[in-house]
Amino acid sequence: MKSYTYKEIDEKIVSTLSPPTKGYFGIVALLILGLLTGGACWAYQIAVGLGAAGVMHPVAWGTYLINFVFWVGIAHSGTLISAILYLFRTPWRTPLARSAEAMTVFAVVTAGLFPFIHLGRVWIVYWIMPYPNQRNLWPNFQSPLVFDVIAISTYLTVSILFWYTGLIPDFAALRDRFKGIRKKIYGLFSLGWTGSSDQWRHHGWGYLLFAALATPLVISVHSVVSWDFALGIVPGWHSTIFAPYFVAGAIHSGLAMVLTLLIPMRRLLKLEDIISMYVLENVAKTIVFTGLIMGYSYATELFMAWYSGNLVERAVFDWRATGPYGFLFWVMIVCNSIVPLFFFLKRIRTSLAAMMIISILINIGMYYERYVIILSSVAHEFDPYSWGRYFGPTCVEFGILIGSFSLFFLLFVLFAKFIPTVSITELKEDQPMPVKRQAGEGRNER
Amino acid sequence: MKGNKEGLVGVFSYPEDLLSALKMAKKEGLRILTAYSPVKHEEISEALGKKSSMVRYFTLAGGILGILSGFGLGFYTSMQWNLIVSGKPVSPIPPYIIIAFEFCILIGVFFNLGAVLLFSRIPWFRLKNYYDPRFSEDRYGAVILCDEPEKEKVREILTKAGAEEVYDIAR
Repeated sequence: MKSYTYKEIDEKIVSTLSPPTKGYFGIVALLILGLLTGGACWAYQIAVGLGAAGVMHPVAWGTYLINFVFWVGIAHSGTLISAILYLFRTPWRTPLARSAEAMTVFAVVTAGLFPFIHLGRVWIVYWIMPYPNQRNLWPNFQSPLVFDVIAISTYLTVSILFWYTGLIPDFAALRDRFKGIRKKIYGLFSLGWTGSSDQWRHHGWGYLLFAALATPLVISVHSVVSWDFALGIVPGWHSTIFAPYFVAGAIHSGLAMVLTLLIPMRRLLKLEDIISMYVLENVAKTIVFTGLIMGYSYATELFMAWYSGNLVERAVFDWRATGPYGFLFWVMIVCNSIVPLFFFLKRIRTSLAAMMIISILINIGMYYERYVIILSSVAHEFDPYSWGRYFGPTCVEFGILIGSFSLFFLLFVLFAKFIPTVSITELKEDQPMPVKRQAGEGRNER
Repeated sequence: MKGNKEGLVGVFSYPEDLLSALKMAKKEGLRILTAYSPVKHEEISEALGKKSSMVRYFTLAGGILGILSGFGLGFYTSMQWNLIVSGKPVSPIPPYIIIAFEFCILIGVFFNLGAVLLFSRIPWFRLKNYYDPRFSEDRYGAVILCDEPEKEKVREILTKAGAEEVYDIAR
């Protein structure tokens, strides 16, 4: 990465927060329209009942659960980059971390809406929370669905706080660079940070411990999501490989989303020097790794279905690969485990167009993976009399899908214009320290 | 001047100058109120004689409290309906490990952030009048407390160490 003086970093990042153009407002308007479409569809579903969605016996978990798992998965790479790579002191982490963390927060917010949407009577959702009541009723803490509520709420809370903790010194820097109303707003969010040695010392420890706590949390969250499925005895779900398989898949899709978001963002905000090809190339290399884990997991699942001698298990996998969901199954295999292998070629992983195409293909593949896993197992369970197909997706479900993508991208677009997309403080920490005596040795020479 | 503090602030371009100013001030027995930097510098904390932070103990306490509350909640709620279903224990341990784990992280994080805010003395929205906005950009600052007669000596120390500007904290 190119070296900058501290002043240049401030100027560069502050320039990304310049007043938006007409094109920006156009994109925001379009995304708000998409969000309203989703909201209207949800309102319609609340009014007429859950029959508006295609969920019906035997497939009671439809696209809402698919979207939920998809968005939770997207969130994971953000914490991988911000927490796990922080603990490993990975040199290419800094330019990505802030945007990836933002992506995590927005993806969990989007994911968190789907269990609400999936509920027929959303207004009594608070019943799942443990609170004293006159009938002495409590949630069942032995249920994976309650694990999930606790894991996702914890993940959302921790992601927001971790993100905000990293942002405090940056807000202070912006407070000191801007004037007027922006100075006041950034000043409010900076909480009066001054960068005194005591503040840096405590903040440094706090941030390190945040990373140390977020690392096992991120592994646990998608494991818990996988247990929503794996703790049932449904063939195709009841498998011990589910937790690591889901975690790897989540990071796989999240890294692909990082590329999908950052390739256009770095160009629009003129951050090509900071979010350099070296950084993107390393993300691509990590995708090769997660792609190989995905391929291995698919192979293991199929092998276990065959080798276990369990007829029902084998029948489900045969049906997945050759039945009505067969096409989606093969899209999933190709997009998630074969397409990423193209990143082995340096020419591909250093081409922005190729990276963008592959990242979108991986996201399509990961969406279909959830589609295949969630819908096919219950549609083809033990007894032929209970077999069936998913009735959806209906127009309402499509509308809500559009709404969810609009919400995610809207939050990200707003973030990119109001909050530094690259951490000012961490970028400064990565530069050589300002020196005056050894002429020519450090870029940060004044 | 607000309060009883009297002293001088030195503004430096280089961390090495700030460090030498802090060392010289310490050697002279002067009281260093604080030092400012645009990024974290462990050497500055070390020069001020502060290495570690109490934050970690709070985080540990939060984590332990979280584990206890997670298990406590699971056991308490299951004991409200002490019925054996399918011959399984009323209060099994394995599922509650997951609840305890999540609570450990959640409450650990609350305590962690709470401790960072507490020890960093934020939120505090009125900035000190001797704080200079350049400290968040690319300058370093040392705030040294001294009485009127000592000011000349302190000014000399700061300037000798390489301060590009020295001003009174009551500016």
